[in-house]
Amino acid sequence: MRDLRIFIISVLSLLGATTLGAQNLTDLLIGEVLVENTNGLTDGYGQRNGWIELFNTSSGTVKFGGCYLSDDESNLRKYHIPTSDMAAKLGPRQSIVFYASGNASQGTFYTNFKLRNGSTIFLVSNDGRTIIDKVEIPSDLPADQSVVRIPFGIKGMDFETKVNPNPTPGSYNGDVDAKTKSQIMKEQDPHGWVLTFIAVMVVFLALMILAFIFGWIGNANKREKKSAPKAKKVHKQGNMSPEVAAAISMALSMELGDEVYAAIALALDDYLAGGVHDVESMIITIKPSAGSQWADKTQNFRQLPR
Amino acid sequence: MNTIIENLEQFWYFTGFANASWQNLAMIAIGILFITIAIKKGWEPLLLVPIGFGMIIGNIPMFPGLNIGVYEDGSVLNTLYQGVKQGWYPPLIFLGIGAMTDFSALISQPRLLLIGAAAQMGIFGAYLLALALGFDPNQAGAIGIIGGADGPTAIFLSSKLAPDLMGAIAVSAYSYMALVPVIQRPIMLALTTKKERLIKMPAPRQVSQKEKIIFPVVGFLLTAFIVPSGLPLLGMLFFGNLLKESGVTRRLAETARGPLIDVVTTLIGLTVGASTQADKFLTGNSLKIFLLGLLSFVIATTMGVLFVKFWNLFLKGDRKINPLIGNAGVSAVPDSARVSEIVGREFDPNNHLLMHAMGPNVAGVIGSAVAAGILLGFLG
Repeated sequence: MRDLRIFIISVLSLLGATTLGAQNLTDLLIGEVLVENTNGLTDGYGQRNGWIELFNTSSGTVKFGGCYLSDDESNLRKYHIPTSDMAAKLGPRQSIVFYASGNASQGTFYTNFKLRNGSTIFLVSNDGRTIIDKVEIPSDLPADQSVVRIPFGIKGMDFETKVNPNPTPGSYNGDVDAKTKSQIMKEQDPHGWVLTFIAVMVVFLALMILAFIFGWIGNANKREKKSAPKAKKVHKQGNMSPEVAAAISMALSMELGDEVYAAIALALDDYLAGGVHDVESMIITIKPSAGSQWADKTQNFRQLPR
Repeated sequence: MNTIIENLEQFWYFTGFANASWQNLAMIAIGILFITIAIKKGWEPLLLVPIGFGMIIGNIPMFPGLNIGVYEDGSVLNTLYQGVKQGWYPPLIFLGIGAMTDFSALISQPRLLLIGAAAQMGIFGAYLLALALGFDPNQAGAIGIIGGADGPTAIFLSSKLAPDLMGAIAVSAYSYMALVPVIQRPIMLALTTKKERLIKMPAPRQVSQKEKIIFPVVGFLLTAFIVPSGLPLLGMLFFGNLLKESGVTRRLAETARGPLIDVVTTLIGLTVGASTQADKFLTGNSLKIFLLGLLSFVIATTMGVLFVKFWNLFLKGDRKINPLIGNAGVSAVPDSARVSEIVGREFDPNNHLLMHAMGPNVAGVIGSAVAAGILLGFLG
């Protein structure tokens, strides 16, 4: 049993450490690339270089330290993004710009290669082999225009590649003026009848299916019970007063039916002012008075796990 | 001497007396009222005492910038408030609710699930009314969920759809949950005849352990596939129930329905109460929310009772349902079911409706979580 626990914990730890990390990196993509920058974004040194924008498509933060950027398929480990830089991470649906200055000593976000038309830019996982994403730059890409990946579709998780005359480094590439769902509903369903109709139908449908399934399971259970031989009744004796024993035996009497359970429960609840604790169905549990917890020796026992 | 006077003057400016406004005092009075109601009347004391005291805490007039207010980043109250703001208290409460709820009343009579569905009309009725009063759809959705009569669901949804209205929505939801006996009884009596109130329903059958174990798994799969956006609430509700019913995780179930839910209920009540700072709470919108909240409870109760009456037109003999359990579709567990029992006994002391009413009551919990998921999917 102990070995099984250790095994389960080990497997979960391994899953947490490896699988999830790898899954996060695959949420990255190259959002936008600009090769010839004559009139646009300047870097921290006041220079205008080509740039590569990375975008996090997921709803969680992704750390990309340790990944690689390259413009050469035969050398995918061309620029190594420093693992130690705490800034090497992207929040949900955020983007970040790498300047292709050709001089990596300028900082984490400066690559050791410059961009050129007709090349392909690779974003490579921290194993140095797995290509997470790549973008082909057209050989005739004009100056100050970028290759951009624009999200589309209901989920905004599909991307189409376009040439963009108005680059947006470090900004969301989709429609920044996109309306919220609430605004869309306000236009399409100003009085709310459509949503109400759909929602009521869905609530009824969900609960009807549930009712149907459990009706069916209940019937199957009844049939099973009928066909099974009747088990001999076993009566347990415990420490109880004659009055309680009489009440319970009355409740268990087949002649009186199950309603007596409810009646006794209510009567006890009324009498004991909430002292009746009914956890399991059809079982009445009466908690003994614990007295002062300081004086109760059982409170001092260590609750060992089974 | 001048130095002493200057320092005293400075001290005075830091006191609550110097910063007090009538709005703060009004909110403190409401907080005291909540505590009084909870203690004297015994209405939802586990919720109204923390909320009431939280209201007092949140409305102590103070000099801004001391980094102690609930809306000031990094303060203790703000840190505790994150559980409400980020929406992780409500699913934890649902875990506890799942671990303490016995679904056997529902499993034994699955048809009663539909009453729980009918009562969710309170949510959508309030949504329509809120839109008519000029609220945006996301705000209207958050207000509508008050009709689900489910505090954690209301907090969860409003934190996602309309965080600015959350304080008013949460306080409204919990207040009307405390007032369920007052709101529901006259509606139930007005909508039913004496003959209907005397309908006796056959005792529910006993439910096997196997069925109880299957219920949370199938229930979760079905509802979560239909409304994935309800996952945090539905997942925790059914998971908690599986802990209870599996028979092999008793310690986990006991923790979930005991210490865990107690801790989270205390924190959620206190921080929701503290979030009702007068400047954010005492607005015209809050008054509208309180009105809409009341109407949503009225609509939910009305629809539950009317649905049973309509259904009875097609039922015969002992299949008929006592319409006094229609109100229990409002998922204020177990208060609305208790109202069914009490009103039922008024007319026939031998007619116990509690077990029957618990069916729609817990169905209401599932229904309101599904409805919240739908609203979040459409408006979030």
